[in-house]
Amino acid sequence: MEMLKLINVTKSFGTNEVLRGVSLSVRRGEIVAVIGPSGSGKSTMLRACVGLERVSGGTIELAGRALVRDGVYVRDREARDICSRTGMVFQHFNLFPHMNVRDNLCLAPVLRGLLDKKAAAERAAELLYKVGLADKADAMPSELSGGQKQRVAIARALMLSPDIMLFDEPTSALDPELTGEVLTVMRGLAADNMTMVIVTHEIAFARDIADRVVFMDGGVIALSGTPAEILEDPPTERLRAFLRTFSRSAQSA
Amino acid sequence: MLLKGIGFTLALFAITIVTSIPLGLGLTFLANSRIKPVSLLTRAYVLVMRGTPLMLQLFFFYFGLPFLPYVGKYLIMDRFPAACLTFALNYAAYFCEIFRGGLMSIDKGQYEAARVLGLSSFQTTFRIVLPQMVKVVLPAVANEAITLVKDTALASAIGISDLMHYTRSLVNSRAEVTPFFFAAVFYLLFTVLLTRLFSRLEEKFKF
Repeated sequence: MEMLKLINVTKSFGTNEVLRGVSLSVRRGEIVAVIGPSGSGKSTMLRACVGLERVSGGTIELAGRALVRDGVYVRDREARDICSRTGMVFQHFNLFPHMNVRDNLCLAPVLRGLLDKKAAAERAAELLYKVGLADKADAMPSELSGGQKQRVAIARALMLSPDIMLFDEPTSALDPELTGEVLTVMRGLAADNMTMVIVTHEIAFARDIADRVVFMDGGVIALSGTPAEILEDPPTERLRAFLRTFSRSAQSA
Repeated sequence: MLLKGIGFTLALFAITIVTSIPLGLGLTFLANSRIKPVSLLTRAYVLVMRGTPLMLQLFFFYFGLPFLPYVGKYLIMDRFPAACLTFALNYAAYFCEIFRGGLMSIDKGQYEAARVLGLSSFQTTFRIVLPQMVKVVLPAVANEAITLVKDTALASAIGISDLMHYTRSLVNSRAEVTPFFFAAVFYLLFTVLLTRLFSRLEEKFKF
């Protein structure tokens, strides 16, 4: 079954076309890594899938339910409902700074009446254990490192038992020595067969974890294939050039 | 006698604070409204209230309103209600601007996180945005509160028997200066008390 399906999605800011007909489908349990130069539309595509960007045309379906069909959005209430079956992890974590870690996790499921307080607290404890932060339930976000914050953000998204998890450059705001702990948590999700779409600059991680790698360039999906096809033996000069900038920066770092 | 004056001063202060803060918050939402005429009208209101002297506004509401054609006769108020109304409307405009600034300081990512977690805009406002805004605006609100302590003295201009009023008449009748010192000490103590209260609040909103 397809958990996420985009058909010919377009989006423009004024005269600037950010997405120029993106089609992508992600099966249940599949892990798709999205790579590409900045400005290629990766983040915009991901954000459109949870309604944070409004697309100009095309169709987006989440777990079989259309959020947009041929450029026409469903009603706002339904859109919220569809999108909330999707977990989103942001580059800058976006934890709520005025609540401790437990309340960050419990707020949405309790307010939305999905779990009562006690069940939410138990589920939060489980998920914090899973991301290796069982002892941080009472900590405030300001007391955590970037890697810990991102792990909390992942746990928070998991509280709603999402059908699919979307990651928007989850390690880009982290110091290099902190990316490992976040990637480990994501590997754990992969082992649980979570469906994931990951926009990332971590090429090695993409090769390692993804079932499929998608190369976006200029608002379209330029190439799509297995990690071996895309990363080991890049078929186009554009992709080779893009990958070279990474190996260079990796060497200089 | 001075104590009675202090009563009016405290009452005016308290009534203004508890009415103008919610009113200011309401104005903030109106000023940010997507309906253009509403936001423009609100901003015009704020401009007028902040751009004209409080003393003039006091005179307008107490002496001026009854002279309006047709409706004037329904707008005759006692001194104290007129003063409360003027102060509340005036301070609401200042609070509106403070809160608006506070809202602008909230990171866009907070709204996005709330949205993808499926919170309604009401829940986002009251559970996510406002608590963070309070932290940002507390120092400015403290500043306004302290200014208000001293602005209450303006009410004596429309004949309210507040602390300032009694102080002046004591100085005149006894021909001595000590009542001024007494009043100064009172305003100062009140300010110190408020400063303490607000730093405690700021401590509580440290996160």
